[in-house]
Amino acid sequence: MGLGSRKTDRRTAYLFILPLAAFIVIFIVVPVIGTFWTSLFREVTYLETAFNFLGNYRRLAADVNFWQSMRFTLLFVAVCIPVELVLGMVFALILNEKLPGRGVLRAAVLVPWAIPTIVAARTWELIYNYSYGLANYLLALLHIAPEPVNWLGTPLSAFSALVVADVWKTTPFVTIILLAGLQTIPEQIYEQAKVDGTVFYQRFFKITLPILRPVIAVALIFRTIDTIRILDLIYVVTDGGPGGSTTSLSLYGYKFFNEGDFGYGSAIAVVVFVMAFLLSITYLRVGGFKGAVE
Amino acid sequence: MSEKMIKRLLVAAGIAFMLVFCLTPFIYMIVVSVSVNPSFLSDSVDFAATLANYRDVLTVKSLRFLDYLKNSIAIGTAVALITGAIAALSAYAVSRIEFRGRVWVPLAVLAFSMFPQISVVGYLYKIMRAAGLINTYPALILPYIAWTVPLAFWILLSYMMQIPRDFDDAAFVDGAGRFTIFRKIIVPVAVPGIISAMLLVFIAAFNEFLFALMLTSDHSARTIPVGIALFEGLHGEVPWGYIMAASAIATLPLVVMSLYFQKFVIQDVTRGALKG
Repeated sequence: MGLGSRKTDRRTAYLFILPLAAFIVIFIVVPVIGTFWTSLFREVTYLETAFNFLGNYRRLAADVNFWQSMRFTLLFVAVCIPVELVLGMVFALILNEKLPGRGVLRAAVLVPWAIPTIVAARTWELIYNYSYGLANYLLALLHIAPEPVNWLGTPLSAFSALVVADVWKTTPFVTIILLAGLQTIPEQIYEQAKVDGTVFYQRFFKITLPILRPVIAVALIFRTIDTIRILDLIYVVTDGGPGGSTTSLSLYGYKFFNEGDFGYGSAIAVVVFVMAFLLSITYLRVGGFKGAVE
Repeated sequence: MSEKMIKRLLVAAGIAFMLVFCLTPFIYMIVVSVSVNPSFLSDSVDFAATLANYRDVLTVKSLRFLDYLKNSIAIGTAVALITGAIAALSAYAVSRIEFRGRVWVPLAVLAFSMFPQISVVGYLYKIMRAAGLINTYPALILPYIAWTVPLAFWILLSYMMQIPRDFDDAAFVDGAGRFTIFRKIIVPVAVPGIISAMLLVFIAAFNEFLFALMLTSDHSARTIPVGIALFEGLHGEVPWGYIMAASAIATLPLVVMSLYFQKFVIQDVTRGALKG
C-alpha cells in the first residue's frame, strides 16, 4: 500500500502509538511492578523501611482476617455471577421479543447501569436502613417478616444485602452482552424448529443456549474479573462489617494502604492481581480477540 | 392453555418483574431527595414534599457539593478529550499501518485494562506524593487517561477497521502524509465513534472511586463519588435528603446521556467486550 517508504511508515506507526504506550506504562505497568517490589518490604509510614523478602506473605498465610476476606470474595463471586447470568439471560430474552414499547423497556433496564456505583451503593444503604428503609417497609407491607430485619447487622443478612445490590447494578451489563449475542441468531433457525414441532423452552435449550455459549463465556469471565476486585459498593454499604465478615480482598488491602502500611497492603494487592491476571488470560483465550485485527 | 398463551404470560410476568426490579431503587432515590424527612416510611412520620434538599445542596457552601461537581466535570472533560485524541491516533496506526507487533497491541491494551485498581493505587499514591501532586487535578487526570484509554482504543479500532482503505490510499497518491490523512480524512469520518468513545470515557472518569478516594484529601480536587460516599451532615446524623439530592443531580445527566446515546452505547460496550 501507499507510496511512502515502508520504513518511515513504520516509524510513524510507532510514533502514533507512543502516547498510548507511555500512559499505560507509566500509570499501570510501573505501579504494578512497584506494588510487587513494595510487597517485599516492611514499609510503614513513620517507620524505617526494611527489606523483608517474603515476610509479608508469611504474615498473610497466618492472617485469619486475610483468609476471611478471601473466603468472602470467592463466595461473593460464586453467588453473584450465576444469579446475574440467569437474570441477565431472562432480561435479554424478553428484550429480544418483538414487543410494543421495546425501546422504553431497554431504557429501563439500562438505568441501574447508568447510575454511578457510589450513588447506587448509598441508595441501597438507605434501602437497608433498619428503622425506615424501603426493604423493611416492603417486608412489613407484604407480611413477609413479622419483625424488621437488621440487614447490615448480621453476617448472613449483610452478605445477602450486598448480593442483591451488586446483582441490581451489574445485571444490565450482562443483559446488553447477551442481547447482542441473541440478535446474531437468524430467525429462520427458530422457524424451522417450530415447523418440527418443538416447544419454546426446548428451542431455548436446544438452539439458543448452544449458540450463545461463547458469548456467555465472555460475560461470565468479564464479570468474574470485575467482581473478584470489588470495593466501591462494599465500602459504602457495609464497610466490610459486621465484624469484618464482608471485607473483600480489595477493601482489606485498601485498609492497610489507608493506615500507611504499604508493605502489607501491597502483598494483599499482589494476591488480587494474580487472581485477576489468571482470569484475564483465560478471557483473552476464550474471547478470540486476536482475530479482530487480522 | 396453548403454548403461545403460556409464553405470553411468562413474558408479561418477566416484564413486570424487570421494571420493578430495575426502577424501584432509582425511584426511591428521587422520592427521598424531595422529602422533608427521609424516615417517611416509618409509622410515625408522614411524607411531605420539598425542594429544600436540592436548594441546600446547590447553595450551602460548607456542603462543598458544587466544588465536587466542578472538579468532576473538569477532570472528566480533560480525560475525555486527551483519551479521545490518544486512542484515535493509536487506533488509526493499528488499523492502517503494517508494523511488527501490530496484532499484539490491542491484546496487550486489553490485558492492561483488566488489572485490578487495588494493585496500582498504593504505588500510584507514592508516585503522586513524590511528585507533589496529591489532591490536585493531575493526580486523577493522568491515571484516568491510562485507565480509560483501552476502552476508547477498542471502540475506535473496530470503528476504523470498517472505514474503507480507498479513502486513505487516494490521499496517499496525492502525496499527503499520515498525520494529514488522519486529521483531514479519518477523523471526520470517525466522528460518531469518537464521540461515543469520549462519552463512555467521561462516564468512567466521572464514576471512578478508589483512585479519587486515595489521591485527594479535600474539596480542592475531590470528585462527586468520594464526596457522596463521605457526605456528612452538619450535626453528625446521616443527611439522607442531601445525599439523595446530590445523587440525583449527579445521576440524571448520566442517565439522560446513556439513554439518549443508547444505541451507540450498547453497540460500543458490546464491541468492546466482544470482538468486532
